[in-house]
Amino acid sequence: MGQRIKTVPRYGNTLKEKLYLPAIYQGMKITFKHLAQNVSDSNAIDTLEYPEEQPTDITSRYRGLHRLTHREDNSIACVACFMCATACPSNCIFIEATPREDGQDEKMPSHFSIDTLECVFCGFCVEACPCDAIRMDTGIFSLTGNNREDFVLDKDKLLSHKGAFGEEKSLARK
Amino acid sequence: MMSTASIVIALLSFALGALLALLMIPILVWLERRGAGLIQDRLGPNRTNIGGFRLGGVVQSFADVVKLLLKEEYYPNHIKKGRGLLMFAPIITFVSALLAFMVIPFADNIIIDGESLAVQPLPIDYGVLWYLSIGSIGVIGMFFGGWLSHNKYSLLGASRAGSMMIGYELPLGLSVLSLVLTYNSIGFNDMVHWQSQTLFGFLPAWGMIVQPLAGIILIISLFAETNRAPFSVAEGESEIVAGFFTEFTAMKFALYFMGEYVAMNTASAVIITMLFGGYQLPWVDTELLLSNFNNFAFSLMLVIPIFVFIIIKWMKKNNRVRPTVSSDGGRAFETKVLTIALTTMTILVEVILIVLVLFPSDLGSSITVMLFQIATFVVKLMMFNIFFILVRWTLPRFRYDQVQHLGWYYLLPLSIFNIFVTAIVIVIVGV
Repeated sequence: MGQRIKTVPRYGNTLKEKLYLPAIYQGMKITFKHLAQNVSDSNAIDTLEYPEEQPTDITSRYRGLHRLTHREDNSIACVACFMCATACPSNCIFIEATPREDGQDEKMPSHFSIDTLECVFCGFCVEACPCDAIRMDTGIFSLTGNNREDFVLDKDKLLSHKGAFGEEKSLARK
Repeated sequence: MMSTASIVIALLSFALGALLALLMIPILVWLERRGAGLIQDRLGPNRTNIGGFRLGGVVQSFADVVKLLLKEEYYPNHIKKGRGLLMFAPIITFVSALLAFMVIPFADNIIIDGESLAVQPLPIDYGVLWYLSIGSIGVIGMFFGGWLSHNKYSLLGASRAGSMMIGYELPLGLSVLSLVLTYNSIGFNDMVHWQSQTLFGFLPAWGMIVQPLAGIILIISLFAETNRAPFSVAEGESEIVAGFFTEFTAMKFALYFMGEYVAMNTASAVIITMLFGGYQLPWVDTELLLSNFNNFAFSLMLVIPIFVFIIIKWMKKNNRVRPTVSSDGGRAFETKVLTIALTTMTILVEVILIVLVLFPSDLGSSITVMLFQIATFVVKLMMFNIFFILVRWTLPRFRYDQVQHLGWYYLLPLSIFNIFVTAIVIVIVGV
């Protein structure tokens, strides 16, 4: 069995490489090319002029801000089963249940709030929901506020968020 | 008894020197940030504006200065002794860089009423000595700052700056010496005069062509002297926080920061004056311009509108936003105002040139030549500053021992060798 020896080539010992100036020239050529190209047409640079320009590459799988979906009659789809709050790894979903009076289901949430400062946007609540009542398909990636309370989204706020990708109503609760 | 003309020229060149050194700081800071952005396919600072006027983003630098001036004057508690000197240290660095710039000639000596007046803030004829002595004082400010900070990183940074200074001052001085041998003068203006000759009838006798080895050593040493990348080991962020100005805040820090840019500007000026023909264009020296003033004025009348036209076209193309951006933030208005201003200025210059051609006078033509040479100098200066910036965003930083190795083992012997060769050639040719 012959030995398989691979000789790794060593660089940097020729005069040209030791002089170092040719390598500098090569590098400068590249950077200067970028500089000249971008100076002559700065609008061709592939950057986003945020916030005047908004991103257009958010896909339907992007986990944005949460929303609570509606039924066909625009009532809340959530049945207050606490599955999302149980699945939540950061314990940021707070639900208070109340009996549902219109006969469609037994329960509904009286309060439903998400503390987005605690939320890690893992999407487990969406996976856990049996009623397709909570979704993260709003495409909203930025939330601002002046104090901590502004970041706790309540039920009305969550219901007001619109789905960004066409599916507006819950697919599991009609 | 000084004549009025000499006083006017002295004041003018002093104002020009101060302006070129101080006004260049915000421009260079902006150029560095914008250049870095463009080299890396980003945009760089382009938003700060005054009523829609952003001048490509240069307003940002002025906003930065205002911010630094208004910052809290924080003073580290652990520094008990030498507070006064600690405050004074950045001033030393800044002032020495500023003073070193003051011996650069911005144009050839102008002759008014038979009196030859130097367009040089300090009209001395031993500029090289002045530059070498004053320029190397800057490191004392760095050393005071680093030592008095009572911080190991500051001290390390200062000692690095000091040893770099010693390691590179020798090759710098020796390469300058071989240039002095070549030009047979220690005045910057005489050097520029020598360089306005031609070699073999067609090559401009620039220092870089006559003395390529000394030129390369001079440029490398000046990069090290000004603490610029790839030799910026004195402030290597990844190793020693910020080097000698770790403990400096607000305007104290800003003085170090600005001093660095003034030093870079000075280094550019020295390089172009000693190696790239200074304020002269190749093949065109002052006597030629003065004796063929009409041809010179006609070619200026042709070149200036073309140049301005290209600038306006470039501005119209680039000073706007993409259609996807909702608001242009006053860019269209800015372009309009600047276009009108540039066009008016061009027409004014054309009219002045026509008047000068129709009613020739010695004073008018020599002033025009002086202004032309100043413009040439500024353009060359900007080109070399851009070269400095390009190098910074191309090369990674050397390791500290590599920097020392390069200075002592390669540059120093090479510069000594170069002096020998130069001296032998001069003896043989018998200049």
